[in-house]
Amino acid sequence: MIVLARRLAQLVAVVLAVTFLAFTAMNTLGDPLFNVVGFVAAVDCDAVEAGEIEDISSQGGTSIGDCVVVAEAREEFHLNESLPIRYGRWVGDLVRGDFGTSFKNRMPVSTVLADRLPKSLLLMGMAEVFAVAVSIPWAVAATYRANRAMDRASTVGAFGMLALPNFALGVILFYFFVVRWQVFPSRFEDDNLAVRLKSLVLPALTLGMPLAATYFRLLRTDLITTLQEDFVVMAKAKGLSSRWIMFRHALRPSLFSLVTVFGLNTAALIGGALIVEQIFSIPGLGRALVEASIRDDYPVVLGATVVIATGFVAINFAVDLLYSYLDPRVRRES
Amino acid sequence: MAVPLLSVADLQVGFATQRGLLRAVDGVSFDLAEGQTLGIVGESGSGKSVTAKTLMNLLPSYARVDGSVTFDGRDVRAMATEGERHFWGVEMTMVFQDPMTSLNPVKKVGEQIAESLRVHLKRSRKEARDEACDLLQQVGIPEPKKRLTQYPHELSGGLRQRVVIAMALACSPRLLIADEPTTALDVTVQKHILDLLDELREERGMAMILITHDLGVVKGRADQIMVMYAGRTMEQADTATLFSEMRHPYTEALLETIPRIDMASHTRLVPIPGNPPDAVDLGPGCPFAQRCRYCSAACLVDQPGLDQHGDGHACACHSPVGTEAGAAAHVSNLETGVTPAGLDMGTFTAAVGETA
Repeated sequence: MIVLARRLAQLVAVVLAVTFLAFTAMNTLGDPLFNVVGFVAAVDCDAVEAGEIEDISSQGGTSIGDCVVVAEAREEFHLNESLPIRYGRWVGDLVRGDFGTSFKNRMPVSTVLADRLPKSLLLMGMAEVFAVAVSIPWAVAATYRANRAMDRASTVGAFGMLALPNFALGVILFYFFVVRWQVFPSRFEDDNLAVRLKSLVLPALTLGMPLAATYFRLLRTDLITTLQEDFVVMAKAKGLSSRWIMFRHALRPSLFSLVTVFGLNTAALIGGALIVEQIFSIPGLGRALVEASIRDDYPVVLGATVVIATGFVAINFAVDLLYSYLDPRVRRES
Repeated sequence: MAVPLLSVADLQVGFATQRGLLRAVDGVSFDLAEGQTLGIVGESGSGKSVTAKTLMNLLPSYARVDGSVTFDGRDVRAMATEGERHFWGVEMTMVFQDPMTSLNPVKKVGEQIAESLRVHLKRSRKEARDEACDLLQQVGIPEPKKRLTQYPHELSGGLRQRVVIAMALACSPRLLIADEPTTALDVTVQKHILDLLDELREERGMAMILITHDLGVVKGRADQIMVMYAGRTMEQADTATLFSEMRHPYTEALLETIPRIDMASHTRLVPIPGNPPDAVDLGPGCPFAQRCRYCSAACLVDQPGLDQHGDGHACACHSPVGTEAGAAAHVSNLETGVTPAGLDMGTFTAAVGETA
């Protein structure tokens, strides 16, 4: 219970910190209204308001109507108020479950998130399931015969998978499986779960292969270390088979690095798969975040930030729980 | 002696290193009868643990092994190559030096004891658990039921070594190898563990190989003793003979390193000068010559064979303690003040003077 309360406090602190930073950054670097009426028009309207220009029609194509729109939008989004007050207003809304409204299409941010997040989560889940399902048997097989041909080939293969950038791998897969052989759809299809899964196979592979290589390297190293422990020698002296020793003695205490990196990667994938989302035309959270950033659509940016920060804290909490499952010595401390 | 339970003949174990072949064990032979205890004594690097690991089939695959090991008429080395699955851990088991590291930190004590029973004797989960509980009781662990569900880090060092012993005894082995079973424990606990091993051996009629660097540990407990140095047998005898008619200078030197209760207080213990030799490059003579006060010229060029002194007492030495040759070599070295190997005899006299 205490642990849970502490986690919750941590979550609130993290969300407040990152959203405040995002909020300040977005409001310092640009004005959202530039995107509504255009940069020049917005500057002109500002000048009229300040009394620097008397006749708006003297200024290129800007009309008085534009300035009305600007003024209305300012009113609607409370843009006349000071930064801290606006941030406070935003936090207040958030507490009531209101994520605000997108500047771009006037849709509630919660609707945007509800549309984008499940796709990103599904992609993340598929990539991680693939990576874990491949890396654990792979590392176990390689360590059975450490430094033999299969192990060496695996190490080279893993390096290759790590060195190949995401977009290159994505484009290669896209070319062969979509363009040439037409096995998979060229863009995300949303009709039912089977179709969704199918259209996410290639992107999940693109994300999952370097992850699998990372996990393989970590687990292989840790397994080799564990297999040199005295308790493994003892287990051999008890006449237990290599398979029994590998799965019932060595694997569990060797999973620490893998679990740590798994947690960090998973959290990073929630909103960080934008290159892959771009290549495979998936309307995920990563792309929503990039598009909104470019347009200074900060309600969307902030909404996505809240989701991502929450994901980070939640996943790392899960990782901590996993630690204490893996090693009873951790349990006593918490 | 009847047909021995374990018979080791001319065992050789080598490891190829970049500098050449490291002879970890060189020509070790011994017989061990059912229910008897053999003490193997030597410094680190003497080959005693490698001997144990060879018996237990725990050597890395690149080790080169030669010689024969027979257990109750079965060829142990052949069983290793054939992948016999129910010999080690069943007939022959081993207890290691450090109970802090020989238990898996993430598995419950009960599971670790029960798994041998399940694998080798095909016990059900419940049967294995009940037997594990009995075993914990037998090795003197209080509240055995509660301990079953505990993890190793929740137990003290002494209790952990008892758990390791329970683990080794699970399938009622006929031979238990204990490699420095008390070295890592508190002095106060050491005697308890040694006594426990002795009791269990007696109750079960099990044979035991007790490996130690401390002659005092095997004195009252072993039936026979083998003293090893640089992978070779230096002296081998039944325990009473070894202590009464000690022949090898190395055995004598080992004994002088042990504090005894009947010594005057502040008696200086005599360390053995120098270090064990490089097992890759032993040279032609006796491996102990460089550190020996009985060293003669022959010791530097000619490796002594294992001579019989009657009643199974064997010793590999050109100038054994308590013989004319030994006395002559010692006197000659005292006169010149330096051994043929260049060791200053002053290293010994100062200490000997104080003990006298």
